[in-house]
Amino acid sequence: MAVDPQMMDPEALEAEAEAEYDLLGVEGSFWTATRLLIGIVTFVWAGVAFAYFYLRESDTHALWRPHGVTPPTLLGTLIALCVVAGAAVAVYGKYTLLDGRQVDWGFAAWLTTALGLVAAGLQIWELTRLSFLPGLSGYTSVFIGYAPLNVAFILGGTYWMETTVARAMRLRGRLATTGGAGASPLPDARLLRANVDGVTYFWVYMALIVATFWALFYVL
Amino acid sequence: MAMTEEARAGTGQHGRITARERQRNPWLGQSVITGFAGAAIGYLLGHLFGNIIASNYAVVKASGVNNVSICLGLALGTLGWLAGLGAFNYAVAKILGYEPAKEEETTGWQRYFKMTLDHKVVGLQYLIAVLGFFFTAGLFAEAFRTELLSPYSHFIGPDVYLQLVSEHGTMMMMMATSLVVGPFGNYLVPLMIGARGMAFPRLEATSLWLFVAGYMVILTAPVYGGFNTGWTAYAPLQTEARGGMDSYLIGFGVVGLGMILNGFNQIVTITNLRAPGMRWTRLPIFVWAMLTTGFLLTLATPVLFVGAYLGVLDRTAQTSFYVNAHGGSSYLWENLFWFFGHPEVYIMALPGFGLVGEMLTVFSRKPLFAYKVAAAGMIGVALLSFFVWQHHLFQSGINPDMRPLFMLDTELISIPTGFIYLVGMGTLWRGRIRFTLPMMFSLAMYFNFLIGGITGVYLSDVPVNVTVHGSFFVLAHFHYTIMGGLVFAFFGAVYYYMPRVTGHMLNETLGKIHFWMMFVFFNLTFFPLLIVGFLGMPRRVFEYAPRLQGLNAFATVADYLLGLSFVVFVANFIWSMWIDPKPAPHNPWQSRGIEWQLPDPVPFHNFDRLPLILSDPYHYGEEDPLPVADFRGGGALAALAEAGVAPFDAYAGRPEIAHPASHISDPGREV
Ligand SMILES: [Cu+2]
Repeated sequence: MAVDPQMMDPEALEAEAEAEYDLLGVEGSFWTATRLLIGIVTFVWAGVAFAYFYLRESDTHALWRPHGVTPPTLLGTLIALCVVAGAAVAVYGKYTLLDGRQVDWGFAAWLTTALGLVAAGLQIWELTRLSFLPGLSGYTSVFIGYAPLNVAFILGGTYWMETTVARAMRLRGRLATTGGAGASPLPDARLLRANVDGVTYFWVYMALIVATFWALFYVL
Repeated sequence: MAMTEEARAGTGQHGRITARERQRNPWLGQSVITGFAGAAIGYLLGHLFGNIIASNYAVVKASGVNNVSICLGLALGTLGWLAGLGAFNYAVAKILGYEPAKEEETTGWQRYFKMTLDHKVVGLQYLIAVLGFFFTAGLFAEAFRTELLSPYSHFIGPDVYLQLVSEHGTMMMMMATSLVVGPFGNYLVPLMIGARGMAFPRLEATSLWLFVAGYMVILTAPVYGGFNTGWTAYAPLQTEARGGMDSYLIGFGVVGLGMILNGFNQIVTITNLRAPGMRWTRLPIFVWAMLTTGFLLTLATPVLFVGAYLGVLDRTAQTSFYVNAHGGSSYLWENLFWFFGHPEVYIMALPGFGLVGEMLTVFSRKPLFAYKVAAAGMIGVALLSFFVWQHHLFQSGINPDMRPLFMLDTELISIPTGFIYLVGMGTLWRGRIRFTLPMMFSLAMYFNFLIGGITGVYLSDVPVNVTVHGSFFVLAHFHYTIMGGLVFAFFGAVYYYMPRVTGHMLNETLGKIHFWMMFVFFNLTFFPLLIVGFLGMPRRVFEYAPRLQGLNAFATVADYLLGLSFVVFVANFIWSMWIDPKPAPHNPWQSRGIEWQLPDPVPFHNFDRLPLILSDPYHYGEEDPLPVADFRGGGALAALAEAGVAPFDAYAGRPEIAHPASHISDPGREV
């Protein structure tokens, strides 16, 4: 704030204080929303994982996984690598943003977006390259259930990253004189940073999920 | 927050229609009309895709039912509905980096048919939606109770009977999950915590329109031959059921998404948008109920969503999640369903206790007894409810050694539930009770819930459960908790809050007729059903032992009169709101809650200045209580100064500026 608040009249001072109070509320909302979203998504994946382990343990009619059927392993591994790489890039980007190197963050965010699109595309392609029918066994069913959800969440995370970097590009001119998106004290910049923090957190979480299910489907 | 012209223009749809144009024609822009058009287009496209994809599948050819096209039609129909209403406008504009449109005030009755960012409008829209859900499903109940008038002669066949029972149960469950969180959660929470709206107003509106979409989706079931599994849709019946099952699965998915969004919004709003001075210990008990219910909604509903999704895959992509012969397990559904289903029980109980807690204090002029115990009880119930779902499978072949464990933790829940119940009793104790309509509904709720709660303890007991599971005893038990509890609290709150929401009181005479009819005939309907259940009458069977005819016929007639009580309510509502509306006095119940201190009608942004909260709203009956809040502002500065936020920290320790509470001279606002 450029103006010394000591010099302001009470009305303007209170308006200024309310704006700050509101903004803190919105920043807090982003923080809570991200963590809560992860909680919600965790319960979605927990449902899928429960199906995996429940059917695996039940092994009804010895049809959990006959003949060790597996979806294309190379494709599955590539998908997982894309998401993990996307998360790593996002984390790197977030720290460069806070260092004030905005160009790097923009590049990192677009790279994560691209990796997300590739991962989702590969996941859809993998579904067309299966050597088994969905209802063959418990294992194949769980895989068919997993893959579309994986596409949906990867695309969701990609959308979030893309909208954040698109917003950053629109704001660039406005924020340039006050230190850029990484340092500017303007409300727009603070909300942007709250978003970057949230989306990065979400990508790291997705990397963990994708790695876990990769192990369940291709390794175990 | 300064917003540039560029940002304001960058709003996609809204930028092009000026305010003056909208004033001339309020239907300009998106509304339910474009929503229905979008739904029709989406539905037809979905059907078309489904036919292209699956019409040559062997299973489709053999059965003549194309579940792919039904599911795609319903799913794309829902997306089209939301798109037509404008739910995706901002989401799409965001891809190009645009900022949200500046929220503008909408006026006129047409706004109730549009997507709006005003939480007060959404609350009222939700109210109409839940009533529509409730009355539709109630009509189904009247029809199948008619069938049960006699065990010999039949009014509807067994198949239609089962369809009606299933449709009734499913719709009522969908409705009850949002019955209070939808209308009152959205309307009241921002007012009660001193906020200017919900944290995510677009998600708020989307949750409402998803709820409405769910209503339409579940009502398509009869078109596809219905489903006759009951509301629990146990596999393998689920996998074998007709096309109506697709409506059930997609419908629960759609309503479930709306529930998740609503709970999400409640939690984020309550944790972050509380006004200065609104500490956790000052939060109205209704807000505590919304917070704990929010956690149940956000964490339990995703599991139902997954369960329904897997069911859809079984019926469309021919997976075998619930098909034992192909490596699946019907128990998988039973587990996923009840992992959601038990917390759902408390999604339908906690909001009722929250509402009743608000009304009891006002009408007994006493502080809420043991406030912290009530909040702790709600948290305890919410936590425990995730660990008891297996009690629904006691007789379904679970490992017998597991039963004592789930019996014990189910019985444990009655402790925090008892806390909440006793808080109500303690509040009444030696109060100056006013028998107003909302108070009568609240007291009736405690009466009914006692029967519902105690029969629940019996049901959790494995030996008793062996005898009565799957009988009318179970049915009567949960009607006593959900209808006797939640629905009574809901109607009490409608009478209580209508003057706040619309500025008009509901007619008291008609209201009393409604209350006494509903209370008496509710009990005369469901108490006999407890008995017939105990005598062995199973649920979901259209015939029964002739010796039970007397009680059944009695219950049916009582149920007709129960239905009639809602006709009285609807007549009252229409009369008092539209035909002969009388302006309600300001704060007619003399409540101290800040939602009642606001002007009539509540301004668009609720508060000119963020209020400074000074105490909890329950200081009734005290000599000279501190005001609940100072509405003249100063709170934000004080809070920031206290928290050491630069540059406002310069005011820390300067009470004349940072603590305007010290010079409050406006006790006239108080009761
Ligand atoms: Cu239960």
